[in-house]
Amino acid sequence: MIDPNYFLLIVFLLAIGTFLIRYSFVGLSDRMKIPNEVKDLFTYIPAAILPGLFIPATFYYQGQVAGLFHKERFIIILFCFGLTIFIRNTLVCMAVGLGLLYLVQG
Amino acid sequence: MSNFKKGFIAILPIASGVIPFGMVMGVVFAEANLSFLQAVLMNQVVYAGASQLATVSLMKLNTAILIVLATGLIINLRFMLYSAAMSPYLENANRWVKYFCAFTLTDQSYAAMTANQDKFKTNSEAVQFYMGTAVAMLITWHASVLFGYLFGNIAPPKLNLDYAIPLSFVALLVPALKTKTHYFIALFSAIASLVFYKAPLNTGLMISALLSIALAWLIIKRKSRKAT
Repeated sequence: MIDPNYFLLIVFLLAIGTFLIRYSFVGLSDRMKIPNEVKDLFTYIPAAILPGLFIPATFYYQGQVAGLFHKERFIIILFCFGLTIFIRNTLVCMAVGLGLLYLVQG
Repeated sequence: MSNFKKGFIAILPIASGVIPFGMVMGVVFAEANLSFLQAVLMNQVVYAGASQLATVSLMKLNTAILIVLATGLIINLRFMLYSAAMSPYLENANRWVKYFCAFTLTDQSYAAMTANQDKFKTNSEAVQFYMGTAVAMLITWHASVLFGYLFGNIAPPKLNLDYAIPLSFVALLVPALKTKTHYFIALFSAIASLVFYKAPLNTGLMISALLSIALAWLIIKRKSRKAT
């Protein structure tokens, strides 16, 4: 059982902190002129962050298939990455990925 | 079609990848014996899935408040980068639009917006598109968390629906890779995230993100020096 006061305090502080992180630069937007070079840099933000959200999660996942050294989730994600470059379709990417994982583990 | 609608529709396939994540969140709330009200409250005011998942797990173990907070906030630090990238679009927006756009910043909304940024003629078009993606994400997230809380994770484990989460991030990443340099940075970030995965307090993601951005900056600088 989580103590209700402990829970409330953490939720309250986490909410404020998270909002301030999200608002930080947005709040300063009319006071700052962002140079074009930095705007170019912004286009790299998804490339810099997103791999960190799915590469370790799939690479270190403890899978079931010994023959693939437990790396089936990782191998399929790389395949889907390649596939999505050619077929730019989110639903195809997700359907193929889920289908392949089902087949490999079936 | 309005830009708001375009954004709303554009993000729906990606948002479907959030449903299994939201359901897991709902189940975690229920398993931590949190009341319906507590679950809804946290979900409404924090609205950041990965940090909620981590902090609820720590609270179950009665971890010190500072550690719980540090963990949650470090996971959310990446939003500061999104905030910086969103700021030029919101220069002339009114205060309430800024509050709304900041509060609803997610990996998904931000990435969908950058992937489409060449299509907008004005900042306000971009902001409307963004708001469409944000509303679709809000609805999907809250509905799936509530569903998970009330009914549990009904998806058969054999289907591995949790795998939709990393797959949806792949689908978010690819449209953002506009040049060879973007691919290179993504590859670098992937390797760095594996190397720093075990860094303390969940700092691995931020370390790999910042190193990748630093590398991108060096490359941009070198290119501009060559051009002049």
